[in-house]
Amino acid sequence: MNPKTRRILFSIAILCWSAVLLYFYSSGRINKYLAPDFRPIAFAGGLGLAVLGLFNLLTAGQKADCGHDHGEGEEEHDHESGDLHPVSALLLMMVPVALSVAWTKDEYSAAALGRKGLYDAPSAITTPFLASAMPALTLEEVEKSHRKTADGFLEFSLMELFFSSGDREMQTLLDGLKVETEGRWMDEKVRNPHGTRKRLYRLFITCCAADSRAIPIVLEFGKEPPEFPENGWVKVAGTMRFPLEEGIIQPVLLVERVVAAEPPYEESFMRKK
Amino acid sequence: MSPDSQQDFALAFLSILFEGVPFILLGTLISGFIDIYLPAGTMDRFLPKNKFLAVLSAGLMGAVFPVCECAVVPVIRRLVKKGLPVSCGLTYMLAAPIVNPITALSTWKAFQGQGAAMMTSSRLLLGFLIAVAVGMIVSKLPLASVLKAKLVASLEKENEPHHHHEHDHDHSCCGHDHGHDHHHHHEPAGDNRLVAALRSAMKDFVDVAVYFSIGVSITALFNTGIAPGAQWLDSLAKNPTAAPAALMVLAFILSLCSTSDAFIAATLDKFSWGAKLAFLTFGPMMDVKLLFLYQTVLRKRFIVMLALGLFIAIGGISIFWQQLLFEVK
Repeated sequence: MNPKTRRILFSIAILCWSAVLLYFYSSGRINKYLAPDFRPIAFAGGLGLAVLGLFNLLTAGQKADCGHDHGEGEEEHDHESGDLHPVSALLLMMVPVALSVAWTKDEYSAAALGRKGLYDAPSAITTPFLASAMPALTLEEVEKSHRKTADGFLEFSLMELFFSSGDREMQTLLDGLKVETEGRWMDEKVRNPHGTRKRLYRLFITCCAADSRAIPIVLEFGKEPPEFPENGWVKVAGTMRFPLEEGIIQPVLLVERVVAAEPPYEESFMRKK
Repeated sequence: MSPDSQQDFALAFLSILFEGVPFILLGTLISGFIDIYLPAGTMDRFLPKNKFLAVLSAGLMGAVFPVCECAVVPVIRRLVKKGLPVSCGLTYMLAAPIVNPITALSTWKAFQGQGAAMMTSSRLLLGFLIAVAVGMIVSKLPLASVLKAKLVASLEKENEPHHHHEHDHDHSCCGHDHGHDHHHHHEPAGDNRLVAALRSAMKDFVDVAVYFSIGVSITALFNTGIAPGAQWLDSLAKNPTAAPAALMVLAFILSLCSTSDAFIAATLDKFSWGAKLAFLTFGPMMDVKLLFLYQTVLRKRFIVMLALGLFIAIGGISIFWQQLLFEVK
């Protein structure tokens, strides 16, 4: 393949990667893929790729001299030959990205969520950072730091409810408390013999969606649960309990009301800087 | 692949890709400009004459001349032919992909929330120590047992007394003088050199992006449980000996660039910290693509011994380091 064609092919591949990065950033969809501090870096990367690709595309036919010879008997003077045939390189760069852009729904399926801890007991989540991410709460602070809804429920984040099952003091504090929280709706696949339970979860992202963990609690309805779309956003209010089930303390919300909700701006919990 | 698996793969793939690409771009831009603007003889002029100090300095030269492992082998081949002592060349070759600011930055960013400072400093220190140890061992070996016969012959020819010399320097770290002509004349070429530098950067980016794309695809398949061996790999994750070994084998197969491999290691959340350290240190020193690249400089037998030595040394130190940091009360 002649050098000009090779440069054009490589420039196109780089511009395509740039377009994907810039599109996901400008559309806001990147929020579901990266933690906040990585998003401007990705944007800068997209811009940098655009400059590199465009520059090389526009100068593809130009003669360039690196300004030095490489000595008598040295290897061929070439700064551009790659490891692979240019077409193979182009396909290897483009096919996985194109398929991923076509396939992505910006969220995981239930099977992948299971692998990311959706059905794990809170005590099995051992990442120290997750525990430290929960704000310290005292009995007095609960009323002050959490808003109360018109019908008397304290608004809690799912993260607080999840980690309270690993902290005896917090359990004592929250056990029997009327709380409201929001998250995504999912079937309960463990310890649900009467079919009266669902699961509520959000993801916790450290850097990117690939390293995310599910933060779930159990929703107990005491009867057949209402129907909501899988992964749909709901707001749930009820009474918090921490029963011991099969030797594991579970955070269970005895649901009094549940309604469909709009997704929050940040759908996942993010690592704070 | 089922529709659910497709969406899982896509989410994991794109998230790792978005995270790693800016760092690959930064690395390849620097590499491209070094390739065009840095004279090949610059590095050996930095080295002290003392053998030990020269090897130590070579281990740190990546901080000044940052290159990833893909770019370093052709550079070393050229530098060794131009008189850089082999022990220093190999030390630089093994250390530079790890002991450099771009790799340090990407490791630190990727491990935010997972002990970033400890992982970054451990990675740089272990990479440096292993590279220096290899350099010291190589300095005791005859050239013929390390370098390809063709390269040794070329070096011997360079050292013949009738050979044309422009200048000589004493490279006492390999015990003999290399008189040679650098033949590295720089001409003012103006904008053309910028074009050449950005072409070189584009070439480096594509080379790395191809391996990164393959590596991220495989990682996404394991990360979301689609790959057939995902459960088996998970079962090794808690074994203190098997986990670092498994991740070193994975690093060998994935052939990732050192500027972006931390973003993949950080997603292997079932594995111990020590196993990830082994992955991040072994991969930039020995992987499938390096196996081919090394053969342009080194003897096959030496490569096999090097691979085994790195596997045992890095695995052993990672296990020890893990126990020291997390398991000894």
